[in-house]
Amino acid sequence: MAKPFGEVMVELAEQDPRICGVSCDCWGFIAPLSERFPGRAIEVGIAEQNLIGVAAGLAVRGKIPFALGMNPFVTMRCFEQIRTDLGYGRRNVKVIGAYGSGLMYAGWGCTHHAMEEVALMRLIPGMTVFMPADGYETEQAVRAAAAIEGPCYIALAGGELPGQPPEDQRRFVPGRAVRLREGSVATVMACGPTVVDAIRAGELLAERGLAVTVLDMHTVKPIDRKAVGEAAATTPLIITIEEHTVIGGLGSAVAEILAEAGSATPLRRLGLQDVFAIMSGSHADVKREHGITAEAIVAEVMGRVGA
Amino acid sequence: MGSQHEALIADLRETARQIRVNVLRIAGMSDCHTGGSLSIADLLAGLYFHAMRVDPKQPDWDGRDYFVLSKGHCVPALDAALALRGFFPVEALTTHLEPGSIISGHACAHLTPGIDASTGSLGHGLSVGLGIALGVRIDRGANRVFVMLGDGELQEGSNWEAAMAAAHHKADPLVAIVDRNHYQTGPTEDMMALEPLAEKWTAFGWAVRCIDGHDMEQIVEALDALPFEPGRPSLILADTVKGKGVSFIETHHMAHFNAEQLEAALAEVGAGAVRHG
Ligand SMILES: Cc1ncc(C[n+]2csc(CCOP(=O)(O)OP(=O)(O)O)c2C)c(N)n1
Ligand SMILES: [Mg+2]
Repeated sequence: MAKPFGEVMVELAEQDPRICGVSCDCWGFIAPLSERFPGRAIEVGIAEQNLIGVAAGLAVRGKIPFALGMNPFVTMRCFEQIRTDLGYGRRNVKVIGAYGSGLMYAGWGCTHHAMEEVALMRLIPGMTVFMPADGYETEQAVRAAAAIEGPCYIALAGGELPGQPPEDQRRFVPGRAVRLREGSVATVMACGPTVVDAIRAGELLAERGLAVTVLDMHTVKPIDRKAVGEAAATTPLIITIEEHTVIGGLGSAVAEILAEAGSATPLRRLGLQDVFAIMSGSHADVKREHGITAEAIVAEVMGRVGA
Repeated sequence: MGSQHEALIADLRETARQIRVNVLRIAGMSDCHTGGSLSIADLLAGLYFHAMRVDPKQPDWDGRDYFVLSKGHCVPALDAALALRGFFPVEALTTHLEPGSIISGHACAHLTPGIDASTGSLGHGLSVGLGIALGVRIDRGANRVFVMLGDGELQEGSNWEAAMAAAHHKADPLVAIVDRNHYQTGPTEDMMALEPLAEKWTAFGWAVRCIDGHDMEQIVEALDALPFEPGRPSLILADTVKGKGVSFIETHHMAHFNAEQLEAALAEVGAGAVRHG
């Protein structure tokens, strides 16, 4: 079982005295750290700009702060602080989207849709962007981020991806895609909350005798260029799927590589198509309305193979 | 006169109770920011059923007073007030998450009649309210602008940018109400102390009045006295209880009631017959 974030923080803090936590009304996530090392967990109030500035200052003092807020707000309200104080400053700060990645809070309305989190974080030079898909990958990303020198973003995830081997047999290498399924009909690439949709689509297609490759792109930056190149070379169709705007996120990252390589492999980007998801509905409803589902992947593949 | 006033107060208290009943019904449907919704029920009754000039049949009426729920997560209370005031049927309140519903999880100007600003990201409302007030000034209008702020929300620096600008521009049609319920996701003074809060607003140039946000007499008195000082924006610092009216969720930020809890909660606010429209 993956360790919860709070426990991993305590463990990392025991190994490295530079590790500390800063919370923007996310205290629960660093309360264990506060208990173990009072003073190394700091609450800054509901104030994302303050959160990042304070974390930058801690980094000036050689600390390694993990700065936590809610995904849409910790990537948007303080974007310039992240860009200038962390990116330009090359500060060793880990920005943590603690809850609400992508469309997780679909029913709470557009203010709470973190549809720009990947695009915004990708924009910043030197930023490593992790979009883990479950508890195991989250724990691994947190450990990896602590070891990376420089700013990182992690959108925390929980639960367990279906059909995975025991944790001690799984591998998480930053910047390297995880191959969840092999097939020659198409490659489906997903990150964070859409990896389950890609897995499901792989199963649905297999039932129809169509084998697709499914890649879990847990590191969106630096992206696994080799995996993208291989997909273009070995499968006649690439589909990306994200709970984010297709502008600037995973789909864009893949498109940039394909275009620059002169690849002729068609690409379909599933995600929010430059729109706000204005509707009352559950997570599943909003995803269905905007074609961010396993069924949408299946339809794309069927359309191409002419079945 | 005296008895008329008493009737008004009694009527507003009953409206506040109706708002609470409907907030609880919404909390019986899905995750709901119940605590901060219940703490503003009395204030919303005073605003929508006494102070504010609005026309439910014409939500976009140019002469309306504006209301911005900066603490947009407490939209269940606002939706309840709007429905009771006649902006849409009370039955719509419990349709959240249903296809085609006009009810959103946070205040949404696109979906819900009577809402002018989409909110939910804390720290936006006061600047938007100031902008509306300054727009009204350009048009020489008489509209007033009410902005409801959370106390935890005040930790966002943008509020203080707006507070400074409102006083600078002598925006006296602008009224901010702070729902001082002493909790955000935890106790506000432990997480990031706000006190001395009244003094902060005074220092920023606002005319401040402190009231008990559950005392309808005090609410009406404050709303009738606006603007507190000509040439200054007005601040009502309303002392409230998060989750007011339902003992077992007081201080709680969120709730999603099961049937049993819903019944117990409704019993506490005395859910008799529910008024429709
Ligand atoms: C910019 C931003 N950061 C964080 C949040 C998450 N959030 C929602 S409600 C809340 C607590 C708000 O506390 P308060 O303003 O006191 O509201 P109330 O007590 O009335 O519920 C937080 C942190 C948010 N909605 N917006
Ligand atoms: Mg509060």
